[in-house]
Amino acid sequence: MAPTTRSKEASGLKSSKKAAARPSDIVPINSWFRFLETQNSQAIALPLTLLFAVLVRWCVALYGYSGQGSSPMFGDYEAQRHWMEITTHLPPSKWYFYDLQYWGLDYPPLTAFQSWACGFVANLVNPAWVALDSSRGIETHESKLFMRGTVLVLDLAIFFPAIVLFFRSKRGFGSWVPQQVSIFTALLHPCLLLIDHGHFQYNSVMLGFLVWAVYFAAQEHYVYMAVAFCCALMFKQMALYYAPAVFFFLLAKCFQPNHGFALFIKLGFAVVATFGLMLLPWIQSPEQLTQILIRVFPVARGLYEDKVANVWCALNVVVKLRNMFETADLLRLATAATSLAFLPACIHLFVMIRRHKGKLLPAVRDNMVKLLNY
Amino acid sequence: MLGVNDLVLLGVGIGVKLLLWPAYHSTDFEVHRNWLALTHSLPVDKWYFENRSEWTLDYPPFFAWFEWALSHLAYMWDPRIVDIDNLEYSAVTCVMFQRLSVVVSELVLFAALMRFTKVSGGSVQARVAAFLGFLSPGFLFVDHVHFQYNGFLFGILVYSLVFALEGHDLLAGVTFAALLCFKHIFMYIAPAYFFYLLLHYCVVYRQRGAGGLDLGASVLRLLKLGSCVMLVFGIAFGPFVAMGQIPQLVSRLFPFKRGICHAYWAPNFWALYSFADRVLIIGSRLAPNLFPALRLNAALESSTRGLVGDSSFAVLPDVTPAATFIATLVAQIPACALLVFRQRTPTRLIQAVVLCAFASFLFGWHVHEKAVILILAPLGLLVATPTKRMLRMFAVLSISGYYSLLPLLFGAQELPIKAAIMLIWSLSALGLLKSSSVLAWRCLTALEKTYIVGHGVLFLLTEISPSCLFGQMQFLPLVLVSVYTALGILYSWLGMIYELLAAE
Repeated sequence: MAPTTRSKEASGLKSSKKAAARPSDIVPINSWFRFLETQNSQAIALPLTLLFAVLVRWCVALYGYSGQGSSPMFGDYEAQRHWMEITTHLPPSKWYFYDLQYWGLDYPPLTAFQSWACGFVANLVNPAWVALDSSRGIETHESKLFMRGTVLVLDLAIFFPAIVLFFRSKRGFGSWVPQQVSIFTALLHPCLLLIDHGHFQYNSVMLGFLVWAVYFAAQEHYVYMAVAFCCALMFKQMALYYAPAVFFFLLAKCFQPNHGFALFIKLGFAVVATFGLMLLPWIQSPEQLTQILIRVFPVARGLYEDKVANVWCALNVVVKLRNMFETADLLRLATAATSLAFLPACIHLFVMIRRHKGKLLPAVRDNMVKLLNY
Repeated sequence: MLGVNDLVLLGVGIGVKLLLWPAYHSTDFEVHRNWLALTHSLPVDKWYFENRSEWTLDYPPFFAWFEWALSHLAYMWDPRIVDIDNLEYSAVTCVMFQRLSVVVSELVLFAALMRFTKVSGGSVQARVAAFLGFLSPGFLFVDHVHFQYNGFLFGILVYSLVFALEGHDLLAGVTFAALLCFKHIFMYIAPAYFFYLLLHYCVVYRQRGAGGLDLGASVLRLLKLGSCVMLVFGIAFGPFVAMGQIPQLVSRLFPFKRGICHAYWAPNFWALYSFADRVLIIGSRLAPNLFPALRLNAALESSTRGLVGDSSFAVLPDVTPAATFIATLVAQIPACALLVFRQRTPTRLIQAVVLCAFASFLFGWHVHEKAVILILAPLGLLVATPTKRMLRMFAVLSISGYYSLLPLLFGAQELPIKAAIMLIWSLSALGLLKSSSVLAWRCLTALEKTYIVGHGVLFLLTEISPSCLFGQMQFLPLVLVSVYTALGILYSWLGMIYELLAAE
């Protein structure tokens, strides 16, 4: 990797017209891309970022994963592997019922389909990795490589293109250097690296779909946006956190003077179709659908689990809510509190969209980002 | 002075190297752990006799003292590392300590390269070349994965060359002498130093008058240089001379390796020679009347199985160690000619060092593929202000040379790592280095560009495709890599000789 040089007197090369030093150049990543710009080497910027992102991911993947070596239950890694096992060998009607005590499936159907696809490949390479029941807790060098490989491939297929396309889309991020810096920082976000490629999860798929949704919003393809967000939601129910923002955004767009109602119909149809397609194997049986709902939203687990950086856990230090109220009451309390909390932002978003009647992406972007950080 | 960005890049480099800790490490890891143990546990007079482990001490004394110094830190970190009977110890603490020692000792290389940047006027390209050298695939693959201490040693070499660039010839000579006492493989480039120091430092001309040779001053300088170098060798080898252990040292430092090629053929001239022999064997089977009475069976048993051992050639004449020695000497003539017949500048020294390293790599007996770093490291110092041809040769040589190191990391786990590092480095080199404001990639001819891109095809063919593709001939991927990269290395050697000697 090549260095940058900020001091003009040290530079043997005449800087190009774009190289007036800016305050942001103090940040090394900014000055790296500014360096590439002055050297007219922009062509290698994105490939280097992508390759470096892949390198760091795989290096993190060299290390241990959640629950490594700790039988009998192991951890998230084993949970994902187990889902590959059951989706490969059992019919969909059993997926949400089979041996729920040992890592029962508790994500929506798209995760199940992804597990099925990975399990299919695993079965081709080495059936022992996903053999029904007998592969529980399997921890070989090759199986680990395979699992890490699935995370990387899905990351590359869904998250990377979304980020690159979004930041490079013409409206939004200004000149070349800020775009490249954004791509770099988004792809090398430590949280995502450590959780997905270290601890072991597939958050990059959900977040990837989310970024696709925002990208489509920027391109004003609202139907695709709705479909992408539904995919995110059907992959991991955690995307529900973002649902109010997306909902109010699209709702505002439906109140536009032209084609507002047509858009509303199209969106409704798209959402129903997406959900329907994802739930197709179970659509005949209300019992199955209820079970999926119960598994995906385990409200019986209580207000919070372990340690989590939110209000309820913090409050518990002084006010022992869990001892004072029933679970059902606490559920209502939490729902009410969350709704009250996001409602102002949503209403603000709605009003902003209506007021600007369409374009004006910067405002939209800011609002989306504000809400996404919620 | 070091800029913020230099430190950030250093930090990123160290970060990647630390991330590589759990990656594969070779038997060299145990070699160095064993040396930590034996220098710590045994008195000096036993160091070169100890053979409880198969990995006996076969580096010169200064390296042994380096391991001795490290061993004290190792003892504080985890005493079991330096237990001489604790063979194959590779607990996490041991891996952490050894890997960290490589990272820290490599800072010598970083310091040397930064000093190089300064002496080259601090230009952008000099800095780019310096970082391309510091973060090269050679050091990342061989030092930080496979496990060796090359970064540290090449740091000393770069310091020596930088001293020469700064005009401190005596210091350069002494540093090189010290380097030889760390790892004697650097003897390959000693002829370059010999001629340079003799003709640039020792030979003094009269300032006034006829301008002829000032014999007195010259002899004085020769004596000064000689005594300094002798002092260095004396410090290193003196104790062993006093103990009468020199024959044992010699047998350890210069073990006769069987076979003209190492297990994996280093991409040198003899690899191409072996390959040609194979091709002729196959050709002779198809057209038997052309090659009567061949020693076919013996030749087929060796080489093809890629085991270390004598390899006899069936069609082409056999090659003895003496023959390779003569070939090497002959190949080093251009390097020495460069110093003898052209104006001697410090840059010429670096060029001669590169050519000497080239000659030894291409024609030496039982060359390891890692020796390609001996060519590539000093070469990096020549691309601060290169001509177009030099830049082209650098590009072709570096990419094929570093690519030839990929088979060292043979596991599936290291596949994305070596691909990513190789691509990052190649893109950076081709996309940032310039010759008279023309980008390196643009300087290349169509053939060279095709050759470089061809490495990608080679990668897919040899690393990604399933092993069933090669069936019985499991050695074939290695031979393909060796032959393909040897072509590039040979081509750039010829190009460089032309550039340095003819294109004046």
